[in-house]
Amino acid sequence: MEAVLIVLLPLLSFLIVGLFGRRIGDLASAIITVLGSIFAFLLSIPASTKALSSPFSVPLYEFIPLGNYTLRLGLYFDALSSLTASLVCFIATLIFIYSIGYMQNLFGLWTYKFYAYLSFFLFSMLMIVLSDNLLGMFFGWEGVGLASYLLIGYFHQQKYATNSAFEAFVMNRIGDWLYLFGIFVVFYLFGSLNLLDIFGKVNTVDASLLGLAVLLLFGGAVGKSGQFPLHTWLPNAMAGPTPVSALLHSSTMVAAGVYMVARLYPIFESAPQSLKVVAVIGGLTALFASLAATSHTDIKKIIAFSTMSQLGLMFLALGIGDKSSAMFHLTTHAFFKALLFLAAGSIIHAFHHHAHDIYEVGGLKKYMPLTYASFFVGALALAGIFPFSGFWSKDLIIGSAYEASFSLGLFVSFVSFLTAYYIFREGFVMFYGEERHKKHFEEEPQESPSIMLIPMLILAVGSLVVGFFEGWYMSVLGDKKEIHLDVAISSVVIALAGIGIAYLVFVKKVLDPEKLYQSLKPMHTTFKEQFFTEKLYHKILAGGYMKTSKALFTAGDRFIIDGFINLTNFIYFRVVKFLWIKLDVFTVDLFVNGVAKLSFRFGKRASLIQTGFLNNYVAFLFLGLVVLIAIIIYFME
Amino acid sequence: MTIELAYILISIFLFLSGLFGVIIRKNLITLLVSTELMLNGVNLSFVSMDRIVGGVEGQIFALFVLTVAAAEVAVGLGLVVAIFRLRGYEGSSEITQLRD
Repeated sequence: MEAVLIVLLPLLSFLIVGLFGRRIGDLASAIITVLGSIFAFLLSIPASTKALSSPFSVPLYEFIPLGNYTLRLGLYFDALSSLTASLVCFIATLIFIYSIGYMQNLFGLWTYKFYAYLSFFLFSMLMIVLSDNLLGMFFGWEGVGLASYLLIGYFHQQKYATNSAFEAFVMNRIGDWLYLFGIFVVFYLFGSLNLLDIFGKVNTVDASLLGLAVLLLFGGAVGKSGQFPLHTWLPNAMAGPTPVSALLHSSTMVAAGVYMVARLYPIFESAPQSLKVVAVIGGLTALFASLAATSHTDIKKIIAFSTMSQLGLMFLALGIGDKSSAMFHLTTHAFFKALLFLAAGSIIHAFHHHAHDIYEVGGLKKYMPLTYASFFVGALALAGIFPFSGFWSKDLIIGSAYEASFSLGLFVSFVSFLTAYYIFREGFVMFYGEERHKKHFEEEPQESPSIMLIPMLILAVGSLVVGFFEGWYMSVLGDKKEIHLDVAISSVVIALAGIGIAYLVFVKKVLDPEKLYQSLKPMHTTFKEQFFTEKLYHKILAGGYMKTSKALFTAGDRFIIDGFINLTNFIYFRVVKFLWIKLDVFTVDLFVNGVAKLSFRFGKRASLIQTGFLNNYVAFLFLGLVVLIAIIIYFME
Repeated sequence: MTIELAYILISIFLFLSGLFGVIIRKNLITLLVSTELMLNGVNLSFVSMDRIVGGVEGQIFALFVLTVAAAEVAVGLGLVVAIFRLRGYEGSSEITQLRD
């Protein structure tokens, strides 16, 4: 039963921090959040070992009893889900610890909200990972959407941040909508939402409808993982604090899409046509995002595009039928991507959250040696250099791509060449060369506090060693893969070539980057604008929607509806005024006023009797008495 | 004309002359005296009615009325003295209001 606590502890810390955060203070909130995730991680280890030997499920709650089927909430632990849960908890714990250092300058400004959101984020992600049915997964799915909205827009005084949060929410909404319809189709087909029930009946249902269901479910993954065409929110999500970006890009949120496809892989496998769509979208995004990453200059956006491209590679691997390497790449990617983001955050923190462009800083190697080391470990892992973890996982994907077809393999090699180039471009510009930050900032950058460095160092060690668990991970997921020596050597050479070009251009200045930029300006702009998709969405789709709404508002609302209402108002007013004069003023008022006037006059006359003289009163008394007695006598007879 | 009828007529005369006094006189003490006159007229009628009917209740009632009248005169005179002390006059035409 303690396995349930893996999910409940982050929920508990969310509730405590959310409800009492103001009382207990921001630091205590942060510590509670960290404790929640640490204990969730510690509990996930025994759960994983148990699940590796025999998968088990934990029923939680009967949600909706429906005739012959009951919707239940429950957890399912097998190798895939329990290992991913451990990974998520581990990375989240490190990022939470790091965020204490990163957010320290904001303590006292209601920062407990930030930690409440983080806990909720972790809880939702664990719901996705561990849920044993599609409904529970959908619950987590919406939860991460909400948490990412809150966290991306955390600096809500900035218009840009709120807009980005809004964009992320809308884009995710499109994906969620597709995902929800996917669930409907799955329920229609299988009559059940439980994963094990579904997997058991995959081959007995209508293949074309199944293909539709798979496409719809994949639509959800596209939205959540920022794949083309729902990708524009991912780079803009960098408006949030850096720990959020790290969390969003490594273990939660974007990983949810890949994980979901891997989780539902038996369904995806039985719809090969739809699986091709997964591969095409993944490949397209991988190329497209790495091209965009080569031209951007924002510290975090480059890494964000890199995430998009790596996720694209994972989807490509899933699409060509290699689930376990995709999941292994997700695992290693979580380590080095979190590391890269934390290192980027460390640089931003060193400049008091003012530096955002890589050309605003330079030559930081001298000032921040540990950040420098961490960044380059992450970059080497991302580029796929032996023996860093990225090498092992990417090599698997490249290997299966070459197995699928030679041209696909070349494509993936090209993407990894670009990957090596853009990440080292960022690293070389920031850590080598002249010290450009002296022009922009007065203070000298300093190495970050140890509360930020220690998580980075742990992640750096992780990025270095996780790759060696490749064989174990593959065997656990029930897949056997060999490292192809030729592929491995060629991919390392290709990555080294990418690094070499970046080195020659940005450190040695063999080619002047400025001149190169001038000569390739149209291409650069195209890449930077993500082939103008963002402009298309923002200006044409969103702007067009806005214009259409405005036109409809003017024509429909202002003219027709308001005109009708105003006319009715005018007529009604006239009629009422007429009736008022005729009925109210001339009839009712006359009567009422007449009665009032009469009473006044009578009262004035009658009041004359009240003289106050005792003698008069006695006389009246006597008169009255005489009258009364007269009446009594008259009636007695 | 029997003696009882004469008594009744006398009592009516006493009552009406008391009432007349109450209505036309202004002096508060005179008013009190006139009230006494009315009461005595009523007493006389009680007693003479008894004589006609041959009972005793009217006489008992007359005794009660005498007692109450004595008490009432004591209170009434006290009030008159108080008003006089307070206002400096004792005419009923000046006292037309219950408040100051």
